Amino acid sequence: MNLQTEYLPFLIPVIIIELALMITALIHVVRHDHYKFGNKPIWIIVVVLIQIIGPIVYFVFGRSDEE
Amino acid sequence: MTGYGAFVKKEFMEFYRSHKLLIILAVFLLLGMMNPLTAKITPQLVENFMPEGMIVNLGEPTAFDSWMQFYKNVPQLGLVVLVILFSGMMSQEYSKGTLINMLTKGLARRSVILSKLTVALVMWTAAYVICTGISWAYTAYFWKGEILHDLFSAAVLVWIYGILLLAVGLFGSVLCKNAYGNLLITGGFVGVQFLLNIIPDAIKYNPLALVSRNMELIEGSLKFEELLFPIAVSAGLAIAFVIAACAVFNRKTL
Repeated sequence: MNLQTEYLPFLIPVIIIELALMITALIHVVRHDHYKFGNKPIWIIVVVLIQIIGPIVYFVFGRSDEE
Repeated sequence: MTGYGAFVKKEFMEFYRSHKLLIILAVFLLLGMMNPLTAKITPQLVENFMPEGMIVNLGEPTAFDSWMQFYKNVPQLGLVVLVILFSGMMSQEYSKGTLINMLTKGLARRSVILSKLTVALVMWTAAYVICTGISWAYTAYFWKGEILHDLFSAAVLVWIYGILLLAVGLFGSVLCKNAYGNLLITGGFVGVQFLLNIIPDAIKYNPLALVSRNMELIEGSLKFEELLFPIAVSAGLAIAFVIAACAVFNRKTL
């Protein structure tokens, strides 16, 4: 218990960043139909299940440039 | 000058719309938090993973360890992310042909380069200030009242090195048609600096000192004045690369 309260100042911001990244990426995945590679189900799994790195990988490599 | 202003605005818009703003903020926020955390939990981790009966004497983590993590992580991870994010600065415009319209309507070529540079500098500065600020705040929170030398000047050095890398990246992306060529040029530039460090006489002038000798500065074993040469060399190189980028871009056929 002691350990958890000690690391609380780290945990809260990390969780917020994680969720913010995941939600923006998820909205983007759902709203678009074309990606550089892969398809919608794959990207949803990647974005939701791989914390932090998943959304970043999606925005850098997966996102298609066409609107 | 109105062309410059408008183009800067467009660049910021693009940075935001392509979610690069989100990525750079998230990465540098996490980087800022990671350093004090790693410094704090490393002794516990080692303790838990050691086989039974083995004893490793690790002292209590200090604020010094936290900054050591900072100067290990930010130059490695942070600068790599920065270079990758800005590697496509010009190549995207080349491949899509989006510059042709604006240049034929009378936008100065110099404005394009300068506004790209402005956006990159503003973004790097903001991200780095946030990252350092968070790291500093956590370190001050966990280790109150420890005295460290030259925290500010040590932090400024990495910032200057980031600017140098951005200038090289700008030059590389003007030169190459795709982003990978640019990454190769920036990587080669850093590689040459590592090679130059072999020559004893060159160490004094090598910009690499800006990201490798920060801890000596915080320890107090190195004076800030001794680093004035690398700073001057970096600043000179950065300006030279920007001028070269302008010169090359002026002759480039789109």
